[in-house]
Amino acid sequence: MKIMLNYIHRFIFFVTLITLSLSSNSIEVIEILGGKASQIPIAITPFNEEIRTMGQVPDKKNAFREKMHKVIANDLERSGLFTSLDTSGISTIPDSDILINFSNWSALQAQFLVVGKIITIQNRLITRWSLIDIYKEKTVLSMEFSGSKKQYRGIAHKISDLIYKKLTGSPGVFHTRIAFVKKKSEKIYGLYVADYDGFNQRVIVNSSQPILSARWSPDGKKIAYVSFEKKKPVIYVQNLTTGKRVLVANFKGNNSAPAWSPDSKKLAIVLTYSANSQIYIINSDGSGIKQLMRTRSINTEPAWSPDGKEIFFSSDRGGNPQIYKVNVDGVSDVNRVTFEGKSNLSPSLSPDGKLLLFLTQDNGKFRVAIQNLLSNQVLKLTKGPHDESPVFSPNGHMVLFTYKDYGKTTKIGTVSINGLKVTPLRVGSEAIQESSWGPITSN
Amino acid sequence: MKIILKLQDNYELQANLFSFVIHFGLFIFMLVSIQWQMKDVYYSEVELWDAMPMQVKSQPVTNKKKSADIKKLTPKAIEKQKQLKINEDAEIKLKKKRKAEKKAKIKRVQKQALKQEKIEQLQKKLLEQEKIEQLQKKLLEQEKIDTLKESILDQDVKKNARIAVEADQELFAGSNTGELNKFKAMIQQKIYQNVNKQLCGLDLVELEFEIQLMPTGELLGDPKLMQSSKIESCDQALERAILQSQPLPVPKDAKLFSKLKNLKLKFSPNAYTE
Repeated sequence: MKIMLNYIHRFIFFVTLITLSLSSNSIEVIEILGGKASQIPIAITPFNEEIRTMGQVPDKKNAFREKMHKVIANDLERSGLFTSLDTSGISTIPDSDILINFSNWSALQAQFLVVGKIITIQNRLITRWSLIDIYKEKTVLSMEFSGSKKQYRGIAHKISDLIYKKLTGSPGVFHTRIAFVKKKSEKIYGLYVADYDGFNQRVIVNSSQPILSARWSPDGKKIAYVSFEKKKPVIYVQNLTTGKRVLVANFKGNNSAPAWSPDSKKLAIVLTYSANSQIYIINSDGSGIKQLMRTRSINTEPAWSPDGKEIFFSSDRGGNPQIYKVNVDGVSDVNRVTFEGKSNLSPSLSPDGKLLLFLTQDNGKFRVAIQNLLSNQVLKLTKGPHDESPVFSPNGHMVLFTYKDYGKTTKIGTVSINGLKVTPLRVGSEAIQESSWGPITSN
Repeated sequence: MKIILKLQDNYELQANLFSFVIHFGLFIFMLVSIQWQMKDVYYSEVELWDAMPMQVKSQPVTNKKKSADIKKLTPKAIEKQKQLKINEDAEIKLKKKRKAEKKAKIKRVQKQALKQEKIEQLQKKLLEQEKIEQLQKKLLEQEKIDTLKESILDQDVKKNARIAVEADQELFAGSNTGELNKFKAMIQQKIYQNVNKQLCGLDLVELEFEIQLMPTGELLGDPKLMQSSKIESCDQALERAILQSQPLPVPKDAKLFSKLKNLKLKFSPNAYTE
């Protein structure tokens, strides 16, 4: 009996102890709302260069080391999501992911490290590189690229793309191209195609008359633009592979502001056919024109939503120019989208359809702004005062826009959508205008 | 509660008794297992020799010579023969004696070998006995260590439980709530500074991590992701934010620290904070 009592006592004691322990171990909860738009500190080391001569005269040592380093660092910094750390203070730069002194890099506040090696053999360039997580002390990406020496910029852009994709989850746009119009002189205008950072320029159209509104088709095969060749604005679509062009819109009055549908089959254009500017939908071969809606007010600068169901446009129907949207069938009601600022114009939408990019007039200055279409919060990205024609990068993380350099020459530049990084593009001393960003292509 | 405390006093004794019984049982089991291994060994006897025994070569006696010798018998010869016979007998006796001596020697050697074997067996047994004794000693020592460890652990558990219970009681009484909230706010602020919401898209995503802290404020192991944002880059960015915030501010007071040792961190990076 005594033993039984003993066991019961013991059992009660254990149960009490466990209950108390459990109640006392109830986990504390801390809620962290919001966050910052900060940049990821990344240490990009200049890759060590090894020259294998194979009996020929060797290249100048380190011919590609600094060049490739600069391309990768600039790419990632331009996105506004990364800050490239100065690695010159580190005595021994590793060229592979083995034997990394992690304390060195964490002392530099680096979250990620890029190391690599360049091997040049005759005309070939091989790059072996790795992306390393400093906090977790592990390699997250390790690859090898090769190509001709002339392709060193392309290889460096590809490396940037992969780092970007790995760390942000979104595709990089460092291997894409842009189109812009360069005014060479009063009577020579050129439509150019170049790498996204302005390098490797190539002219595709030369004209003695102004060229405007160059717009790259979403499939990357064509460019639509407005030309004054017919002594009035008309719309051409030029095939980038064959060089052939089609006169899509040469209707009575002005033909302007072409905007590609997401499937690259249609264009929304603006005609002054009946009276004031109205939006029309037309097939990319110039057939099947249809007016979107009939109103007395001016409707211009159309932009398609990524699902192809809606068209955003600017209109003065409320007095001052504001941005509105309407279904592509033109039957539904027109809804106003922007409310902040005296006037808002030149709309375009991010690839996910969640951000609206536009120009806003703020105290007499024209600035690039974005509006979160879920929260309607507006963020002004640039300071102005003469910014124009903003377009999204194909991943929606950057914006290409034109600005006036010291209020005189028109230039182009990029701004990250967090507004942290504005970068001018060096494409020449001439006036640059009407830029457009091409899509991400597989090659 | 009083009963529990009284029992708690008795419990140490009971626990000791309980552990003693368990260990005694284990000891018995080990003894049995040792006996099982100590079954009698079958020894094979080996005779040890100093040297190999010599074979005696008997010279052949030819009958022809004998018959010739008989033919030429003279008294001198008879005398000689007698002498020879005596000599032969003496030789035979000597040989027999030597044989007997050799046999005796072999027997002695055999006896010695047997003795040696017995001695070795005895020595072996003694060694085994010693080993067993040593093992027993070790077991006893181990038992002592185990009991000590158990009692220390038991004390630790009791101590931790007591600290946690006391902290709970104090918090319930309201005396430490302010301090606890102060440290929670400090931790929240430090982590917030490192949250990079840019990698979390625009939707109102929510994430949940569980962390375990050391008294230094450093993390014990990696943060455990309990609820994902379904955006890999966002999950990783917030994990980095936690890692980057080390060391987190924690109280020096053990009671208060016990409340913050395990934390659940809930993130809403795209929540509107204004």
